[in-house]
Amino acid sequence: MRSLLTFLARYNNLIIFLILEGIAGYLLATGNNYHNARVVNAINGLVNGLEEKIINTRTYLNLRDINKSLAAENVALRNSIERLVKNENSLFVSVSDSVFRQQYIHATAEVIDNSINRQKNFFTINKGLNQGIAVNMAVTDGLGVAGVIVGCTENFSIAMSMLNIDFKLSARLKSNGYFGSLNWDGRDHRKAVLSEIPQHVFVSIGDTIETTGYSAIFPEGIIVGTVSDFEKRGGDFYKITISLATDFKKLHFVDVIGNMKKTEQLELEKLFK
Amino acid sequence: MINSVFRFGLIFILLILAQILLFNNIQFSGYINPYIYLLFILLLPFEIPSWLLLLLSFLTGLIVDFFSGSPGMHSSATVLAGFVRPYVLRVMSPRDGYETGAEPSMASYGFNWFLTYALFIVFIHHTALFFIEVLRFTDFFRTVLRIILSSIFSITFILLIEFYRKGKK
Repeated sequence: MRSLLTFLARYNNLIIFLILEGIAGYLLATGNNYHNARVVNAINGLVNGLEEKIINTRTYLNLRDINKSLAAENVALRNSIERLVKNENSLFVSVSDSVFRQQYIHATAEVIDNSINRQKNFFTINKGLNQGIAVNMAVTDGLGVAGVIVGCTENFSIAMSMLNIDFKLSARLKSNGYFGSLNWDGRDHRKAVLSEIPQHVFVSIGDTIETTGYSAIFPEGIIVGTVSDFEKRGGDFYKITISLATDFKKLHFVDVIGNMKKTEQLELEKLFK
Repeated sequence: MINSVFRFGLIFILLILAQILLFNNIQFSGYINPYIYLLFILLLPFEIPSWLLLLLSFLTGLIVDFFSGSPGMHSSATVLAGFVRPYVLRVMSPRDGYETGAEPSMASYGFNWFLTYALFIVFIHHTALFFIEVLRFTDFFRTVLRIILSSIFSITFILLIEFYRKGKK
């Protein structure tokens, strides 16, 4: 205690000096837009740099899992090509007009910031306007739904995670095509709730849930998850709990999907609303 | 004691008013802003406790900040000036030390002494001020040029005021 007091007495000038400079620095950083921006930029640069380093290391450590998921995705893609080619040849003459036929464009990106423990979760990806990403594009983790882009800068984008209580998605039962509205109840990062499925529909545990494509954001048929539990809740509707296909805890490489014909669809729909 | 508090209060008010009303409006070609309010920090007596010196410096800067709409900028520079002042004075002390009751003015210690003293403090203050203002090192030499030119003008005006004060005595 005594040595502390002597220390204070000895360096009181320096301490007062530092305190006053601290106050001045605080005023400087909060009171002036320019200085505020400079300080915030410097801190952001530091944080982003660090995050990038951490992500790089983690990418390397996860390579095995990533390879596995890529392989699985390859298989799925090959299957769908197979299906498409067969359909093409069965009835009509095929016309290869790529501009006319292609509706969705894909881009891969890396998640550099993610959270799952809030009520409104967002994640950041390392691509932005310069790489062709735009607001309202869909994000999947290659197989399952992950979120929707809500903001872009030149090189980064923020996506609203599916684990966000504001997130809404039109989804359906793959087995019989009945669709409902899907959202997250804010509790478990592996579960979501599908509502508005009428009670006369046959539902069983393990049924696959996929997207409908009605919103013009997500393409049709992307897997959301499987039914893990359902109960009759008053009214006429089921409350179906879904275990999500996407593991948000290790979300890493994502597939951003843009709908090239979205404006066309929305404009048409607007005419009749 | 009370007398000197009153006197420095008057000097303080006059300098701040001159700074805000007159010198803040002088901007030769974007490079030169004389800051004469520093004279107040220069003139405070030798025996002033350093905590009081720091506080007064901060207060001076804060008031100038408020009136020039740049919170924190002048305060951090003046606090630095107040912090280095005792060291500068120690380096420049005459062989037999400073007389008790004297103040660091041109009238007491002469033109050369005061010029060197003011040069030190003004240059340190202006360096801090202009670098804090831009907060980056690009255009380094432009900033240095602004520091040098503004220092020259500040010192000129400070010397003029000191000459006037000396003449009146």
